[in-house]
Amino acid sequence: MSDTLLGGPSAGPLIGPEETLRVIGGAVTAIPLTHPRNRRWWIAFAGAVSLLGLFVLTLGYLLYAGPGIWSNNNAVVWALDIASYDWWIGVASGSLLVSAVLLLLGAEWRGAVNRIAETLALLATAAAGLYPIIHLGRPWFFFWNLPYPNTYDLWPQFRSPLLWDAIDIVSFLVICVSLWFIGLLPDLATLRDRAFAEAMRQADAKAPTRKLALFRAQAYGLFASGWRGSAAHWQIWVQAYRTVALLGVLLVVSVQTGASVMLAGSLMPGWHSTLLPVSFLVNAVYSGVGVTAVIVVLIRVVYGLDALVTARHLDVLGRLLLCLGCASAYCYAAEYFDTFLNGDPEGRAVLVRRMTGDHALVSWTAILGLVLPAQVLWSARARTAPPAIAAVGLLVAVGAYADHVMVLVVTLTQDFLPSSKLPYGVDLWGIATFAGSVGLFLALLLLFLRYLPAISIIESRRLALARAQAAEAATREASSRAARPEENPGPAPLWGVSATFASQSDLAAALQAVSGIRPDHVHLDGHGPVPMPRTLRALGLEGRSILPYALTGALLGGAGFFGMCVYATAYDYVFLIGGRPRLSWPSFVVPSVSFAMMTGCIAIHLALLVLNRLPRLNHPAFNIPGFLRASDDRFFLSAEARGDRFDPARIERRLAGLPAGGGRPLEIRRIPR
Amino acid sequence: MAQLFSPGADAIYRLALMTGVACVVGLPVLAAGIVRSNYVTGVGVAPAQPLPFSHKHHSGELGVDCRYCHTTVEKEATAGIPPTHTCMTCHSQIWTGSDMLKPVRDSYAQDKPLEWVRLNKLPQYVYYNHSVHVTKGIGCSTCHGDVTSMQMTYRANAFEMQFCLDCHRAPEKYVRTPDQVWNMAWSPPANQATLGPKLVAQYHIRGGARLTECGICHR
Repeated sequence: MSDTLLGGPSAGPLIGPEETLRVIGGAVTAIPLTHPRNRRWWIAFAGAVSLLGLFVLTLGYLLYAGPGIWSNNNAVVWALDIASYDWWIGVASGSLLVSAVLLLLGAEWRGAVNRIAETLALLATAAAGLYPIIHLGRPWFFFWNLPYPNTYDLWPQFRSPLLWDAIDIVSFLVICVSLWFIGLLPDLATLRDRAFAEAMRQADAKAPTRKLALFRAQAYGLFASGWRGSAAHWQIWVQAYRTVALLGVLLVVSVQTGASVMLAGSLMPGWHSTLLPVSFLVNAVYSGVGVTAVIVVLIRVVYGLDALVTARHLDVLGRLLLCLGCASAYCYAAEYFDTFLNGDPEGRAVLVRRMTGDHALVSWTAILGLVLPAQVLWSARARTAPPAIAAVGLLVAVGAYADHVMVLVVTLTQDFLPSSKLPYGVDLWGIATFAGSVGLFLALLLLFLRYLPAISIIESRRLALARAQAAEAATREASSRAARPEENPGPAPLWGVSATFASQSDLAAALQAVSGIRPDHVHLDGHGPVPMPRTLRALGLEGRSILPYALTGALLGGAGFFGMCVYATAYDYVFLIGGRPRLSWPSFVVPSVSFAMMTGCIAIHLALLVLNRLPRLNHPAFNIPGFLRASDDRFFLSAEARGDRFDPARIERRLAGLPAGGGRPLEIRRIPR
Repeated sequence: MAQLFSPGADAIYRLALMTGVACVVGLPVLAAGIVRSNYVTGVGVAPAQPLPFSHKHHSGELGVDCRYCHTTVEKEATAGIPPTHTCMTCHSQIWTGSDMLKPVRDSYAQDKPLEWVRLNKLPQYVYYNHSVHVTKGIGCSTCHGDVTSMQMTYRANAFEMQFCLDCHRAPEKYVRTPDQVWNMAWSPPANQATLGPKLVAQYHIRGGARLTECGICHR
């Protein structure tokens, strides 16, 4: 898929020629640990924080004076506030979908893009999540929209898309945090180990900053939750990551459909095209890819990651933008064609007003920004030119914002009645609020860039693995000489035996060789910097799946929420107005699906922790000499003693007897408890 | 290689995680509990009054009718707080020298009303009419509790919306025959299940949908 549709064979390598496991870890972890380009970062951060200050100021004035400061009026009740919300959640949906779809399709080149896309999704959701709250007249009562144990004996109106929105955004936030954190977990462990190595170096040198270095290592360690790259960890991790991504894709469809149905549920002209959910989805993904492209290019330039974010990645992003640009053009064309061919007069009038009315400038910005710039990307040279990709991405983002303003404001300024025609002009405070939310987004993004790996280390490593074969052969030569059981009869009780390998294939072979030895008395595990599917058979973990947990969580959550809606509206508080049937179940489907995605995601998290026996900050495996390299470029076998009849010498003999290149370890050790 | 964390760190970390989860679950429960507690609602709390007037003594033991003091309860929205003159109808004749009653005599002499501490309050956005309730078979004690047993008067129910809706959704559970409205010790008779709907029809109470319309109370 990634080769045929998204990346042509001529587009160049996905990863620079000299990148190996070690170099990748070093290049990416260097950013959060040594803070290169420090001065530029502080200047950018100062700018972002001043915008954030503007946000605080605006919100203060908003709380004091109310939403009237945005020039919203009785006809135009939704203007920049909802346009900004739609835009942010659109960017979030787009970024999330990019990352999730690439992960599900197994696109091997995603490493350079996925972490940035996931982070953008998370931060854009945070910015989006504020808008529905602050645009309420009394934001401090926002929780009235949620079903909580209140003393009114009332339920929120589950038939209303406004409630769906509240559930959607909470679920969306959970999924975004989840996808981002699961992806980050092994990288956090890498950071922890690098920071710990640095802390030990400083402790030996008695450096004045040694306490700070240790604190930093422990901070990363807390978030890494004791991840030690065990084969069992990796197995669950791969499944959890993919499953959360799948839930994310379903949620994106649910959220964007909900947003469009919120418009279609009204009587206003111009909001009833059956293509509306699709065009919402397309434009959302489009704007998400646009913003992702801009940020990817920026990070690449600022941190000089040209070897990891290659021309081919830009090419793929360009192709995506082009595809979505064409889809967006189709949606616009279909809307005009359909409405002028057989729409009602009011719908036609709305389209004409969009092109020629008071807000014609906004409409033309939307169409020109979304449709035209992407056409440049038919040229292969433009697709690999970072400035071109960034410029197109920026124009798409601007166009998408204008599109939201156009869809909302042009319809709202005039409906069917002459009496409800009220003009609306964009207000300075509305722009300040949006600029402030951009400040929030940028400040968080810059903090992320400073303290966490912007490019996924693990995904880039997987790419480098294929190339690592040659290097492996060389280390094997060395290993044939070095492998010798090391007698280490310390007074401490024995935890087990460890062996070090240069490659996954060696580790898998060694595990296979020792897996027959008294399985009752030995607990075998492998540890390494990447998922190790080849070791699972020897470990007897094949077929272990996280899916039943995810499915149970999602089904229970969805059914529970649906049941609550039915109980609330059809039994506990029957409130029959507007000719609605007592059991109006179709309106409960959207929030139930969103809620199911959230509970499924939470179930996956619990399974990830419980099945892996995490968090476990202190573990005997960390006693293995050189174990820090388990998050770098070494593979470890651990044979843990279970009971008194554990025979370390036999395991050592078996390991040492393996042929070079067929599982012989670089080093064998006895590890105290 | 050394350990980054001591063996005890795990226990602390897990405890912290569990505490976090317990807080996320527990805080809303705690908040919901506090909102319903007598500390917030004031149920059962008898505040100090200008003088220790006892409903139990006057209404319960001496048998003074509610309407002797709360004169407008059958005709107006408010039941009415009696003026000092009402107290003085009796207390100009009996217990005229009592220290306890000095504030009443002072009030009468200076022509300044007694300032009772109000117990039963509704928010401004709630419209409530006493007369329609008592003339349609809702007794005093349904809302105010058994006042005739209160030495010092306290709030018997928290007037939250769920309290009102409980009856507005099913008035047949609470409606009484006219002679029982002033009975402070009323409890639903054995035949309330059959009597209630009959009374609801007799009083022309349009229960269910009509009584739960927002505009019935929020006008």
